[in-house]
Amino acid sequence: MIYELCKFLASYSESFSYFRLVNYITFRAIMSALTAVIFIFIFSRRFILFVHSHCFLDQVRETGVASVFDKRGTPTMGGVLIIGAVLVSMALWGDWRNPFLLCSVAGMVWFGLLGLWDDISKVRQKSGDRGLSERAKLLLQGLFGLVFAWVCVGRCAPLGCALATKVYIPFCKFPLADIGPLLYGAFIFVFVVFVSNAVNITDGLDGLAITPSIFVAAVLGVFAYVEGNRIYSAYLHYAFLRGSGELMIFGAAFVGAGLGFLWYNAYPAQIFMGDTGSLAIGGTMAVMSVLLKQEFLFPLLGGLFIAEALSSQIQDKIGVKWIGRRIFYRAPLHHNLQHKGIAETKVVIRLWIVAGILALISLATLKLR
Amino acid sequence: MILLIVLSVTLLAAAGALVAARRWKRPGAARARVVLSGGGTGGHVNPALAIAEGLKAREPQTRFLYIGVKNKAEGVIVGKAGYELRYVCSEGYPGISFSFKTLRFLFKLALGIVQSIVILTAFTPEWIVATGGYVSAPVIMAAVLLKKLGIARVKIFLHEQNSIPGQLNALMGKWADKVLLTFPQTLSFFPKAAVVGYPIRNSIVPIPAEEARKRLSFSIPEGRQIIFAFGGSQGARTINRAIVDALPFLFAQRDKLFIIHGSGLACSAGYNAAQDTEQRIAKVLTPEQNSHLCDFYYRKDYFHNIAQIYSLSSLIVCRSGAGSLNEISRIGKPVLLIPKVNLPGDHQVMNARAMRKAGAAEILFEDTIMENGGLLEHLDGRVLAEKILALIEDRPRLCEMAEMSKAFLRCEAIERIVSEIHEDKRFTDGNGRVAPFRDLVANARLLQMLSNAHARSGKHFDPALVVEDPDDLAYYRHRAAGLLSRKNWQDRNLGVKLIGLTRHREKIPTLLQMLSDRTPAGVVRRAFGGDFEQVGFIRRNIVSALMVMGRFDQEVEKHLLEAMEDPYFEVRAQACRAVAHFGPRLAGKQEWLDRLLEHLGDEECFEVAIEAAKAVGEIGTESKAAKALLSMNESHYWQVRNAALLGIKRMIERGVLEPSDELISDISTFILTSTDFRPHFQIKETYAALRKCSEGLKGVEICSQKASGSNTAAGKIK
Repeated sequence: MIYELCKFLASYSESFSYFRLVNYITFRAIMSALTAVIFIFIFSRRFILFVHSHCFLDQVRETGVASVFDKRGTPTMGGVLIIGAVLVSMALWGDWRNPFLLCSVAGMVWFGLLGLWDDISKVRQKSGDRGLSERAKLLLQGLFGLVFAWVCVGRCAPLGCALATKVYIPFCKFPLADIGPLLYGAFIFVFVVFVSNAVNITDGLDGLAITPSIFVAAVLGVFAYVEGNRIYSAYLHYAFLRGSGELMIFGAAFVGAGLGFLWYNAYPAQIFMGDTGSLAIGGTMAVMSVLLKQEFLFPLLGGLFIAEALSSQIQDKIGVKWIGRRIFYRAPLHHNLQHKGIAETKVVIRLWIVAGILALISLATLKLR
Repeated sequence: MILLIVLSVTLLAAAGALVAARRWKRPGAARARVVLSGGGTGGHVNPALAIAEGLKAREPQTRFLYIGVKNKAEGVIVGKAGYELRYVCSEGYPGISFSFKTLRFLFKLALGIVQSIVILTAFTPEWIVATGGYVSAPVIMAAVLLKKLGIARVKIFLHEQNSIPGQLNALMGKWADKVLLTFPQTLSFFPKAAVVGYPIRNSIVPIPAEEARKRLSFSIPEGRQIIFAFGGSQGARTINRAIVDALPFLFAQRDKLFIIHGSGLACSAGYNAAQDTEQRIAKVLTPEQNSHLCDFYYRKDYFHNIAQIYSLSSLIVCRSGAGSLNEISRIGKPVLLIPKVNLPGDHQVMNARAMRKAGAAEILFEDTIMENGGLLEHLDGRVLAEKILALIEDRPRLCEMAEMSKAFLRCEAIERIVSEIHEDKRFTDGNGRVAPFRDLVANARLLQMLSNAHARSGKHFDPALVVEDPDDLAYYRHRAAGLLSRKNWQDRNLGVKLIGLTRHREKIPTLLQMLSDRTPAGVVRRAFGGDFEQVGFIRRNIVSALMVMGRFDQEVEKHLLEAMEDPYFEVRAQACRAVAHFGPRLAGKQEWLDRLLEHLGDEECFEVAIEAAKAVGEIGTESKAAKALLSMNESHYWQVRNAALLGIKRMIERGVLEPSDELISDISTFILTSTDFRPHFQIKETYAALRKCSEGLKGVEICSQKASGSNTAAGKIK
């Protein structure tokens, strides 16, 4: 809104020429991050009280770790705050004609609504294990994955048809191969579903999911800036993606919202993000990395999420359900660490450090190619 | 072209339907027409024929058509009885899965329905009487279809022989005009039903004992109580073997009782009843006993006039098939039932429970055991002998049981059925509604109930307090034991847990065998980290089941020692826990201590080290144990150090370790830093305390979710 207004004013009269500032992506990025933080600071206390009075409280769930204390009754659905902050900040500072932004926002909102539904049904049924069935969840995630894959490889791809189906891998300057729309579409589909669930699984300890997400959003934002800038992209040998700079603003808003949320979510948490938050964050990250051609960087950048998801799936699907033994002491990863006698706060901070290191390595791939 | 074919077929079908409908409406046809169906085994065919006889007796002009499946019991029996017989296609329901079997089933069923439609429209019956079994599936479905289309005017009657309805009857009961039942307990399954009893042809009538004795082909000494054991016409291996095994235990009472044994006609490659029984007699009895055998035991493959034997007996030992129960009820004899396990819906068990509830029977459950790698149903001879003797010696009880047996099932079943079919309301004594069974709970629910109770009451846990009825508990135990022989490990695992929690101590040998079973798992599973056929969870749960059952003998000890070396860490950890649990009996045993000390160094899997350290505290008696625990002072995991300290504390408590200054200086070398801590939230504690005391004062539950949640978290926000 502000972006449109300033642009209009700047073109309307010479006396408003300093409003051309909004054409600078870095400026808008900083402003959107600040807006998101301020939004959360203003609304979160009210939101927490609202959630309380409507009894949207976290339900118990069997984790297998001897619980140090009872977390039951902590308000949940904090993801609504994150999504709200990002949306408001993008409404003010975003260019809504940009297809990159539209795709990302669509992903965030779709997965957010899906998570909201799940959260509400969990509260309704008073159990952390019931809620939306796993199959229904996968189906709805898959639906978005399909549509998004179709958009990405289709005729109106935001990346342009030439680039759409090429595979870039980290540490490698040139595209590895062009695997064709079908295979690539299938890959996108799997990727989106997997990543969104990975964040969902990671969200198990206070502050564990949000900080690595901030790192990922920040790094993806930097990539967006580089790839959307003709000079930098040429210099660093990236394919120039016209308009992808808008994703930097989106990423910045995400970082802002994440920081604001962490304020309340840090141990001991006053609010959880719930499935609303974790699915939305996962969906957004998946969409962003696909749009920036960094989907093969993600296993490195979001290595923590991948490790959490894989450990959980291996333990459950291969170990417990099939061969009939535990493969890890506990799953996912953070519960394993807890089981080994590391306090929750320590587990969280250690995993933050791991996520930070992974983010730095991922940033290094900008030049190391 | 295709359109033309479709059109002509539709026209033809419509015309056919019209003609058929007109045929059905034929006014005042001279003779009533009845379709009978049901079969697969004699148990379904005989009731159908009995009903046919009843109908014929009332209206001799009635025409009958029997619809069956080729190469089954009905082919022989129906032909002999002189009824017209037609065949259709059908097959047993294999369960829905994406497989060839399911496809074949669906195809055969569809074909059978089409055949039945043709047969039914040609015969235009007024009544269809089906007695269950998959044979009657297509016939009933076709009839229901024709009825719904308004073509046929036919009444459908189903007869259910068992106390738990078979799959077909349960499904089709909704559309039948009436479901005729044998057991009153079944009423709750069907809205339109009547209890009529079990129809049999008039071969079974009580014979006065004197007369029966005279007609016998062998002689029985005077003054004996006669026990008749049999397992149906083919014989039952469990019963045959159990009765032979029981002979040595009954030998002492041989001048009081006489056993008549119908061993059955089975002589297939898998089991030859007569031969197997003879061999077993030779094996089980001593030569001295064998020479006296004919004084109190008589065996024959098959008794053609079974009513005679029934009438003579004081006690009958048999399977709880509906047919046998009905015959026994008609004669009015007390019975000791050994239900066959692993049948659909466990219907023999249900029948037996019904008769037990009526006070006419006692039940013994057979076990499933592993023998030579194969699974075998088995009943211990001593248990059977003890049960028989206890019953025989309690004459008043036997008399009472006989009375109850006579009143158990309805007599005049055929008359009642005929009356139901003709709807003449001749029998007006209601449908004999009795309280349905108290619902048995499913295994998963049972497990939940028991493990909750176990978690609550710990050492004072007693399954009999959770499952109040001892018969039910016996049945649950038997059902859990049945799970052990399942193919997929999840079922076996459930069985292991249930056996532990129901304290089914007779199965301990089986559990131990499974614990040490080293049959490797499939190649693919092993590639992913699996090890043995009895997977890690099963082995772990066996060890914890042994702890719950609380029996410790040499066998258990031997297998526990092996479990200490199990490749799977949870089994080792659980075995260490078991050592601590059985601590008092192992204290001071050198072998066990050494084994535990080896595990103390298990840095690879700290869980084992923790449990081992705790267990050392329970069984260690000498300085070696204390020294080993003290050497854990710099262990990487704080839990291991903690467990070592706990172990030392326990040794002092047990009085095997003297507190001394030296000990104090030793334990002061422990690294006390820890990566974990326990936060405490004052407001939550205050809240919990307040709530406890207000609950105590008021005695009122004020624990709505909202109250609890808002108090804790609102405080946190402020």
